[in-house]
Amino acid sequence: MHTWLVGICERLQNIPLVVWLVTAQYAYPFIQWTHFTGLSLWLATTLALDCRLLGAGKRFQTAAQLSDALFSWNWLGLGIAVLGGFTLFSTAAVGYIDNPAFRLKLGVLLPLALAWHIFVQRKSRTWGRTPETPRVAKLAGLLEIALWVAVATAAVWIPNY
Amino acid sequence: MLRFCGWLEQIPWIVTVTNSAALISLVWLVHYLGFFLLVGTTAFVDLRVLGAAARNQKLAPLAGLLLPMAWTGLGMVIASGFIMFAGQATTFYPTEVFRMKMGIVLLALVFGLIVQRRLPAWDRAPYVPAGAKWLAFASLALWIGAILAGLEVPAFIPGI
Repeated sequence: MHTWLVGICERLQNIPLVVWLVTAQYAYPFIQWTHFTGLSLWLATTLALDCRLLGAGKRFQTAAQLSDALFSWNWLGLGIAVLGGFTLFSTAAVGYIDNPAFRLKLGVLLPLALAWHIFVQRKSRTWGRTPETPRVAKLAGLLEIALWVAVATAAVWIPNY
Repeated sequence: MLRFCGWLEQIPWIVTVTNSAALISLVWLVHYLGFFLLVGTTAFVDLRVLGAAARNQKLAPLAGLLLPMAWTGLGMVIASGFIMFAGQATTFYPTEVFRMKMGIVLLALVFGLIVQRRLPAWDRAPYVPAGAKWLAFASLALWIGAILAGLEVPAFIPGI
């Protein structure tokens, strides 16, 4: 399994466009830029809904209204982040797949946080009908914030290996 | 100024944080999360002014909810950014790309403040004025530019 995965990563790393991205001076920050721009949109719109579920800004909008407002750009942000993230991965794929922090981020924390986000976003229509959100909504929002902080912590730890 | 930068680098707790992989990673984490909050929420309000997001909702309530998060993010960015700068101040200070980044961030903040102050008036108008859209566009472009400038800093300073 591991040898097969390494083979795919090697092929990915040797795609001419990827080789060019690695060797061209100052190209790398542009890929990071795509990832970070997407992440800004994704995380800010995700955490905004969590904070609203926790009770922040209840005099402005209900959580359901806010979720509706943020929905499109929330997922567009994730799309941009994934595009940038996959390109970043392809520049050093072989190294990444053996990095424990990367494996924890991609294999455990990210799928968990994403699944929880989908659940919270769907439930916010019910939980967020009134300005005051139920206790379960507050707990769900708090857990989602903790999950995304865990994903970001694992990501920041990647260069330490 | 360089002497001051040299003094900053020698502050004992700055030395401790800079030399600890765990502590400096925590500082980077706060910096990234703060920046995502600041840029993401500001960009969303700008997109709403431009008519590209949440067109069926009023501007003021949306901004009232999102902009406090932007200011929280700014606080996180400033606190962590100061520690990151102080740890290698003599390297950062003379670098052109670092000064450019700070310039873009300051300009983006000014535009962000103008947008925030004028939001209630724009919300009362029957439609968002063209000038408002130009301001929001400038704010959006500056924040996205600030991300790029921030990422170019390590590319121009090896070892950061």
